[in-house]
Amino acid sequence: MTIQSTRAGARDTRARTGSPGPRARRPLRQHPALIALAFLAPALVALIVLRLAPAAVALWDSLFRTSLLGGTQFVGAGNYLDLATNPDFQNAVGVTLLFTILINPLQVATAFLLAVLYTRRAAGSKLWRSLVILPIAVPPAVSAVIWSVIYRPDGLANAFLDLFGIPAQPFLTSPQQSLASIMVLLSWIGVGYWMMFLIAGINDIPGSYYEAASLDGASGWRQLWTITFPLVRRPLAFVLVADTVSNLLVFAPVQILTKGGPEGSTNLLMYDIFTRAYTLGDLNTAQAEVVILVLITIAIVAVQFRLLKSED
Amino acid sequence: MAMQLAGTRRTPRRWVMRAFTAFAAAVVGLAFLIPMWWSFVNSLRPGDETFSYLNPLSWQTFFTLTPTFENYAALFDTDLARAIGNSLFISLVTVIVGLAICATAAFGLAAFRFRGRGLMFSVIILSFLIPFDAIAIPLADMFRDWNLQNTFFGLILPGLGNGMAIFLLRTFFLAIPEELVEAARLDGLGWWGVFRRIYLPLSVPALIGAGLMLFLFQWQAYVWPLLMGTDRDHIVGPVALSNLQGQFAVDYGVLFAASMILILIPLAIILGFQRYFIQSVSTTGIK
Repeated sequence: MTIQSTRAGARDTRARTGSPGPRARRPLRQHPALIALAFLAPALVALIVLRLAPAAVALWDSLFRTSLLGGTQFVGAGNYLDLATNPDFQNAVGVTLLFTILINPLQVATAFLLAVLYTRRAAGSKLWRSLVILPIAVPPAVSAVIWSVIYRPDGLANAFLDLFGIPAQPFLTSPQQSLASIMVLLSWIGVGYWMMFLIAGINDIPGSYYEAASLDGASGWRQLWTITFPLVRRPLAFVLVADTVSNLLVFAPVQILTKGGPEGSTNLLMYDIFTRAYTLGDLNTAQAEVVILVLITIAIVAVQFRLLKSED
Repeated sequence: MAMQLAGTRRTPRRWVMRAFTAFAAAVVGLAFLIPMWWSFVNSLRPGDETFSYLNPLSWQTFFTLTPTFENYAALFDTDLARAIGNSLFISLVTVIVGLAICATAAFGLAAFRFRGRGLMFSVIILSFLIPFDAIAIPLADMFRDWNLQNTFFGLILPGLGNGMAIFLLRTFFLAIPEELVEAARLDGLGWWGVFRRIYLPLSVPALIGAGLMLFLFQWQAYVWPLLMGTDRDHIVGPVALSNLQGQFAVDYGVLFAASMILILIPLAIILGFQRYFIQSVSTTGIK
């Protein structure tokens, strides 16, 4: 702990306790900056060129418009204004918003309830838990392909519905069900992943808290809300934010299964950017959309850092 | 007296609760298993039998008495085998080169104190504030100008610098006692020696965790390989699989066999390194 606190950078996100160490003389570090820079250089170049530069390029390009004749013209906020009045973009924002509002609370709540379930002592709990975690190995594109067969009219999903006497559903081909169908296949691979964080959080709670609560006669349900829930607030907040970011970037299932349809009902922002850039060939406006997406994600992640900091 | 009463009353209820918990745990676990299990069984069945046992559901939906490996053998006649091989190649190169780049960077941040370290650290933090998929389209545009599309170099490059992996390794490196480094330095070990002989051997778990991150990033990649406009020689597994799905006449047996390979390879790796995986996930996640 002392080592960490003496070395902790001022910008570290973790709050450090303890006073700085007394060691002042460092005879071995005459030119630490140069040596450190040599070690850091490959990664810094990679991150600047491959992560930060494209964001800057997108911002720059979004201020121009390339005409068919090949001329490039500065239009300022023109592309952004175009987007604001574009019905496809408006629809994409609406769909993304609806998707975000629905999928994130649902996934986090499910992950929390499952984490509670699988931290209870019960026969075979570890085995069943690992079955929930297994799908995190499935790449999103593969999940989409598997579920495309499950969702077929004669597929597995309708076979299960039939078992309960429910008539066959159209799933991906219905504007009312397509978005929900995509949420299901994403949750299949996502919930287990987020559950792992929450299980770690629940396991960190000292067992004595529950013993004390039991002695006081608090019911299991009461213990869940007064002990478990408040004490995993931190991992919960993290999971909610990280999940929100990853769900903002959903692309493969839309591109593979629905191409944004039917009737634009699954036209999420990432897919809208993709079609604008490559199908419509309007790269400058697509870049404006990229900038908007990046700003939204940075804002969300900034909230995440604040949440984690303030609770330290 | 009252306590005793409560105790006797609770015992049968607790049994009911336990049984219910075990039941719910099993049902949920099986529900999550079903899509993967069904894919697995279908990968062992001829493609034209995929939909044979669905109406109505029966035990044969989820089991087959005549498993065949034909579908897996048939993979080799398609582009899928090539694509999966490409995915493996890209992921392995990314792990090796990426680990070298990320570990040296983490060492630079953890072992030295210098002016501007905060700035360096914030570049790394900022780089993982911007999700890769979000900037994939402008980056693809840049790569097209640099003639990197349809090259393995272009496919591998974005996976190499990984802010999360650097962050994870740095956290581990910070815990290595400074005295150890100073003693080694006094004995005449150079900084590269300190990195190779002290930091790396002491951080094997973190290196495995970071390696897993780099691997999964490439293995699950979809947007980027799609944007790089890969031809038959450079296509990766997930893209080839989704192309197959889009065809008019799909051999579902082969489709499921390819899906299973694309799932089982990362699954085996994650399960093999489970401990490190969970450790890496929780270090970068919550701390």
